Amino acid sequence: MSDGRGEPLFELAGITKQYGALTALSDLSLSVPSGAIGLLGPNGSGKTTMIRTLLGLIRPNSGSGQVLGLNIAHHALDIRRQVGFAPEDECLFPGVTGIEFVAYAGELVGMPATDAMQRAHEVLDYTGLGEVRYRKVESYSAGMKQRLKLAGAIVHDPQLLILDEPTNGMDPAGREDILRLAADLAHNKGMSLIFSSHLLPDVEAVCHYIVVLGNGRLLLQGPISELKQARANCYEVRLKQPSEAFNQRLTAAGCALAVRGELLAVKLPEGAAMAMVWQAAAESQSQIRHLRPQRSTLEEVFLNALEPH
Amino acid sequence: MPIMDQGYQHWTGRLAGHRWRWLAVARQGIRVSMRTRYVRYVLFAAWAPALTLSCLLAMWGLLERKSSLVSTFVSFMAFMNPGVVAAPLHYRVDVWRLAYGYFMHTELYFSMVVILLIGPNLISQDLRVNALPLYFSRPLRRSDYFLGKFGVIVFFLAMVMIAPAIVAYILGLLFSLDITIVPQTIGILFAAVVYGAVIAICAGTLMLALSALTRNSRYVALLWLGVWFIGGIGSGVLEHVHQHQLRFDARQWMVKHRSRQPQGSQAPNGFGMPPNEQNGWRLYRQRYEALREADATRDWRSLASYTGDLARIGQQLLQTNEAWRSIGKLLPPGPHRQRVLARYLGPRYPWYWAAGVLACVLGICLWILHRSIRTMDRLK
Repeated sequence: MSDGRGEPLFELAGITKQYGALTALSDLSLSVPSGAIGLLGPNGSGKTTMIRTLLGLIRPNSGSGQVLGLNIAHHALDIRRQVGFAPEDECLFPGVTGIEFVAYAGELVGMPATDAMQRAHEVLDYTGLGEVRYRKVESYSAGMKQRLKLAGAIVHDPQLLILDEPTNGMDPAGREDILRLAADLAHNKGMSLIFSSHLLPDVEAVCHYIVVLGNGRLLLQGPISELKQARANCYEVRLKQPSEAFNQRLTAAGCALAVRGELLAVKLPEGAAMAMVWQAAAESQSQIRHLRPQRSTLEEVFLNALEPH
Repeated sequence: MPIMDQGYQHWTGRLAGHRWRWLAVARQGIRVSMRTRYVRYVLFAAWAPALTLSCLLAMWGLLERKSSLVSTFVSFMAFMNPGVVAAPLHYRVDVWRLAYGYFMHTELYFSMVVILLIGPNLISQDLRVNALPLYFSRPLRRSDYFLGKFGVIVFFLAMVMIAPAIVAYILGLLFSLDITIVPQTIGILFAAVVYGAVIAICAGTLMLALSALTRNSRYVALLWLGVWFIGGIGSGVLEHVHQHQLRFDARQWMVKHRSRQPQGSQAPNGFGMPPNEQNGWRLYRQRYEALREADATRDWRSLASYTGDLARIGQQLLQTNEAWRSIGKLLPPGPHRQRVLARYLGPRYPWYWAAGVLACVLGICLWILHRSIRTMDRLK
C-alpha cells in the first residue's frame, strides 16, 4: 500500500517464520512507503523477527520480500550496505573508545579507514557525544550507548535507518534527544526510518506512518493522520477562560463533558449539532478559542487494532 | 557541544565490495591486541631466537668464506664434529636445516604463548559484550567474521615465526656472498614458511574454537593451557611407561639369554636392578637400544602432545632427521654412531600420523565454530 511517493520502502509477501512450534511471523504481507515508519506491537508480536527478515539475517520458511528494491533472499549483503541498524540489545565492540567504535562500524560496511574516522567524528558531533568519544565504550551510560549505536548506524549515510526500541532505559532528556535526532534524520535529511517501539508517544513524535503487528500478523497499517479518525459528535473545546456556566449549560443540554488539561472534550447528544456549543458559549458569555472535531488518539488506534475482531 | 549543532552531512564516498571485508575485522583485532603490554613483550622476546639464528647463519657464511673474522670463533665450535667445521660448504644445507629446525621449535613455544595472550578474547569477548548483532547486521558473512579473527592470529604468528625466518634467511645470504646458496637453501625457507602456516592454521583454529565455547576468556585460556600442557604431560607419561616396558623387555631377554649360557655365568639379579656384570650390562644396553630402534618408527605416544604433533610436522618439512643422519656419517659406523644419532634424532613415527591427529582436531574445531556462532536466528 504505497502512498504514491514512488517505490515502496519495503514489501513482504506471505512471509512465514517459525521457530520450532512457535510461529513468529504468519503469512505476513505488506507494502510500506518511504518515510518515517513506526513499527508497533506488543511483546512477541514479531517486530524484531520482521526487522531481521528485512535485513536478511534470518531465512523465512516461506514468502518473499524486497527492501529498497533489493530481494531479501538474494541481496542480503547489499541491503545491509544501504541500511543502518541499531539493535535493541546492549551490544558493543569490546575494548574500543567511542570514536573507534563508530569508525570500525563504518569500516565493516566498507568505508575506507580514513573516511570512516573522519565521518565518525562528524556523526558523533551530530549525536552530541563530545569529549566522551575518547573514553572506552564500556564506561558509557545507557543514554550514551544508545547515541553511540545511532552514530554507528548512520556513519555510512544509509538510505534506511532501523531503530529497534531506541529509547529503552533512557532518562527523559536523553529520550527527547534521541527522538529529535530520529525525527531530524527522517524529516530533514531524506533518510527513511523504521522506528520500532512500545512507546506510542515516541512513535507519534517521529513517524507519519505506522505498522501494527500482533501474533506475527499484520493488524493495521497506514498514515497516522488517517488512522486517527474524527469521532462522531465529539469535539475539543478551549475557552479563553474556563467557565463553569458554560459547562453547566452544556450538561443541561445533555452533553457529556471531560476535562483534559486545557481542553474540554464534549460529546453532544444524538441529533445535536455543533451549533449547540456556540449557543452555550454565547449564553455564558465565554470566548471560544479552539473548537474542532475530536479525533481518536494513537493509543486508541493501537488498542483497537489489538482487539480481536 | 549542543546536540545537532554540527548538523548532518551526507557522505558521498564509495563503499568497498564484500571481498576484503574480513580485513577490517582482522585490522581491528590487531590494533586492540597490540595495546596489550604483554603481547608486545612476547613479540619482542620472540625475536631473540631469530637473532641467534641470524648470527649462526652469518657465522656459517663467514666460515664458508674462511673469513678471518670467524677464526676466533672456530674454537667455540669445538662441540661440533671437526669434519663439519673443516668442510662448511659440504654441510651447509644440513647446518641450515638444523639451525632452522631449532629456531622453529623454539618459536613454536613462543607462538603458543602469543596465541594464549591474544586468542582467548577474540570470540569469547564478542559473546560476552553481545557484539555479534553489531557484526552481522552489517554486510558481513560468518566466514568474513571468522576469517578476520583468524587473520589476527595469523598476523601475530607471522610476526613470531615467518618474518624472523625470512629476515634471518636474508642475513644468511648476505654473509655468505655465494649465489649457489639460494637454490640450495630456498627450500628450507619455503619449508619454514609452510610450517609456520601449518601452525597458524591448526593452532589458530583450535584457539578460535575454544574461544567460541564460552563467554569467559579466562576459561578459554585455561582450556588452551590444558590442551598444551596436559597433552604434553600425558605424552611424557606414556613415553616414560613405554621406556620402562622396553627396559623390562630387555631384562627379560637377558634372563632368557643367560639361561641358555654355560654354567658359571651370572644372570641379571632381577627387575629394577641393572646387571652388574660388565658383559651383561653391555648386552642389556645393546638389547635395549635395539628394542628402542625397532620401536622408533611405530612409537605413537608422542601423538598425545599437540605441540609434539606440530613439531613432528616441522621436523618432516625441515628434514632435520636427514640432516643429523648426514652429519652422523662422519662417525664410524656401529653402535656408537647409533647411540649418538638416537640422542639427536627427533620422533620417527610416520609424519602422517601427526598430520592425521591435527586434521581430526581441525575438523572438530571447524565443527565447533560452525555450531557455536549461529546466525541472528538464535542470537539473544
